[in-house]
Amino acid sequence: MTEIGHIALIIAFLVAVFSAVASVIGVRVNSRRLVASARIGVLAVSGLFTLALAIILYAFVTKDFSLRIVAEHASQDLPAIYTLSALYADKAGSMFFWGWLISLFTAMLSLQKNNYYQKIKPYALSILTIVEIFFIALVTFVVNVFEKLPSPPVDGWGLNPLLQNFGMLVHPPLLYLGFAGFAVVFALVIAALITCSPSSEWNIGVRDWAIFAWCALGIGNLVGMWWSYNELGWGGYWAWDPVENAGLMPWLLGTAFLHSIVMRRQRNYLQTWSYYLIIFVIAFTLLSPFITHGGIESPLHGFYGSPFPPYILAAILIAVIGSLWLLYIRRQYLEGEQRPASYISREGAFLLTNIILAFLVFIIFTGTVLPKVIEALGGTRIVIDRSFFDRTCGPIMLVLVFLMGACPLLGWGKSAWHSMKRNLLYTLLATMVIAIVILLSGIGNWYAAAAIICGFPLVTICLDWYRGTRARHRTSKKNYIRAFFSLLNSNRARYGGFLAHIGIILIALGIIASSFYDIEKTVTLNIDESMNIGEYKLTYNELTLKQDKTKVSAIASMSVSQNGRLTGVMHPSYDYWFRHKTHFAEVAVRTTPAEDLFISLVWTSYDPEDKSATFRVLVNPLVVWIWVGGGFFLLGGVVAFSSREKQPARVEG
Amino acid sequence: MKKRYLVGTIILVLVVGYLFYLSLGSSVSYYVTVSEFFFKGTELYDTNVRVAGKIADSPIEWNADDLKLRFTITEGGDNMTVIYQGAKPTGFKISSSILVEGKYHSDGVFRASQLIMKCPSKYEPEE
Repeated sequence: MTEIGHIALIIAFLVAVFSAVASVIGVRVNSRRLVASARIGVLAVSGLFTLALAIILYAFVTKDFSLRIVAEHASQDLPAIYTLSALYADKAGSMFFWGWLISLFTAMLSLQKNNYYQKIKPYALSILTIVEIFFIALVTFVVNVFEKLPSPPVDGWGLNPLLQNFGMLVHPPLLYLGFAGFAVVFALVIAALITCSPSSEWNIGVRDWAIFAWCALGIGNLVGMWWSYNELGWGGYWAWDPVENAGLMPWLLGTAFLHSIVMRRQRNYLQTWSYYLIIFVIAFTLLSPFITHGGIESPLHGFYGSPFPPYILAAILIAVIGSLWLLYIRRQYLEGEQRPASYISREGAFLLTNIILAFLVFIIFTGTVLPKVIEALGGTRIVIDRSFFDRTCGPIMLVLVFLMGACPLLGWGKSAWHSMKRNLLYTLLATMVIAIVILLSGIGNWYAAAAIICGFPLVTICLDWYRGTRARHRTSKKNYIRAFFSLLNSNRARYGGFLAHIGIILIALGIIASSFYDIEKTVTLNIDESMNIGEYKLTYNELTLKQDKTKVSAIASMSVSQNGRLTGVMHPSYDYWFRHKTHFAEVAVRTTPAEDLFISLVWTSYDPEDKSATFRVLVNPLVVWIWVGGGFFLLGGVVAFSSREKQPARVEG
Repeated sequence: MKKRYLVGTIILVLVVGYLFYLSLGSSVSYYVTVSEFFFKGTELYDTNVRVAGKIADSPIEWNADDLKLRFTITEGGDNMTVIYQGAKPTGFKISSSILVEGKYHSDGVFRASQLIMKCPSKYEPEE
């Protein structure tokens, strides 16, 4: 059975080689038959890849431990739902899954009927097929994903309990969706460069794929943060670990790319810049597996003993050098580029956003790879801890938040500054009033600080929406709610963008509040003892031991009272997993709009006589707004993605 | 126009450079293994370092009342005693790979400010 999977991948490899060549030659010699057969080849590769995936998943579900990948990551007692987690917990399995997504997207692209990019499609398919060849080669010839064990074990090694979590079920595929989506964007843009197609022919199609990839990647990163917060028990969600940076950097560059294509569509600015951006987006999506497969050491996560990094590094170099060379020989075909008439204008803000995002990536990249580079050059091994990233990236990100606020106030073009002065005054005033009211109401100082920083962009966006809605209400006599929705509907790309901005601002709010104003305490309590933290009093009532086949859990009952009123009982637990011979804490989190109460049971003896236990308790302000912001972000992405313009838009304020 | 770009870029480079300069110095520490640490003699005493090793097969003392953890890490034939104020992190067990951050003092004890478990994505069964 599993041999069929291996053979399917080998056939897929051969077909992909044929398609990659046939697609380009077919276009060059103008042979419709050759192009058509290349397209069928693309579909066949996708079909064969899917067959191989089905065979692997079947092996996981039936617990076929003769397969290395199953034996190393699954076990008899692994719930079926975590089969997928087990697949991408493997070095070859994760690349296999990623490659499968690319083959799927390539097939989708070949079937897409719209005419945005008929002319460039054969080249784009050829580029994507070359990417597929790379992935198939990695999981077939470098490491055989269908590798058999000489003597199959009775039971597998089992999946890391930390990965047996909903967050880890969806985090990797979301990232891979984003990476694979950007591969399609890259292929389309490079194909356009090869054929010298004017951007009006492919801008919209590229934008759709880019929004999709960017949205999936952003949500994927957020789910990773959520997992880290709820599963790792350290009370935080972001540690500037190399693997986290690996997911963040392509997203930041993707954000810059999206903003640059808005500019080129609206105003024909930033054209060459956007080519550079997409080249580096692709380089960074490949840097991500380079890091996670051990190219750069990460304590948080790594595929141990992966042989892939040199191959990935080679692929990065080929992609970057090849694309830059192409950009160079095509330089005279790039359309004439205009420059903004005034920099205090919306186009100025877009420009600045692009530059800042690129700098941000540069800093994170430097901080991430510098230790490795120094070591490779024969220097001493060093580590750069997270304070470097906090201090450099924090202020820069605040500037971005400010720009999100300034953008709706700015019009396109030269007269922008004049109309902005009054707007700016009003909104800053409104922001100050909100901050002062919060300060006086005594909820807490940190809310005022966070409100000043994040309130300004929120106010300007709401003001912009209010004005638009009022205008529509007046002209069309619709009621305010219907007027509001018709406003959103009138320019989904623009308002989707604003929704995503609201999401990012809320995320910033949560990050600011929870990084500067959290309280943390670790204490050991006996039954009936209490502790105080912030406004809370926690009383340790009971500890119950529960045992099943995989683990023994010590579950604590803690009654929580806030300002003297009993508000509930929380149940953090401390689990000992027999197979892994170690402890994992299941945290309990009580979420309110104002703050999270986070309890992690970090030690107890499991001795029925001695129920004393150690708790790590945190009060994290406004954390929930990070996840709510994620919801807005997703909504914004969906709204922008759903916009269907037939004509390339020009200038709309 | 060209001039404005240039001025803007220069300002940005200066700002970023300044941030780099401010941050890098205090954020960098040496990263060594246990045996490398002792090979350097007393050079790395009393400085902030990250030391990599495995948790040794020797008693792990945990005092729940004053939240003190005492254990030994080993690598390349050298051992180092570590004291940490706080509970065992997830995945803490004998022969796990661990990174300890803190300072080694001349009394022969490493006082860790942070423990980082190297979290492998697979668990190899014990022989």
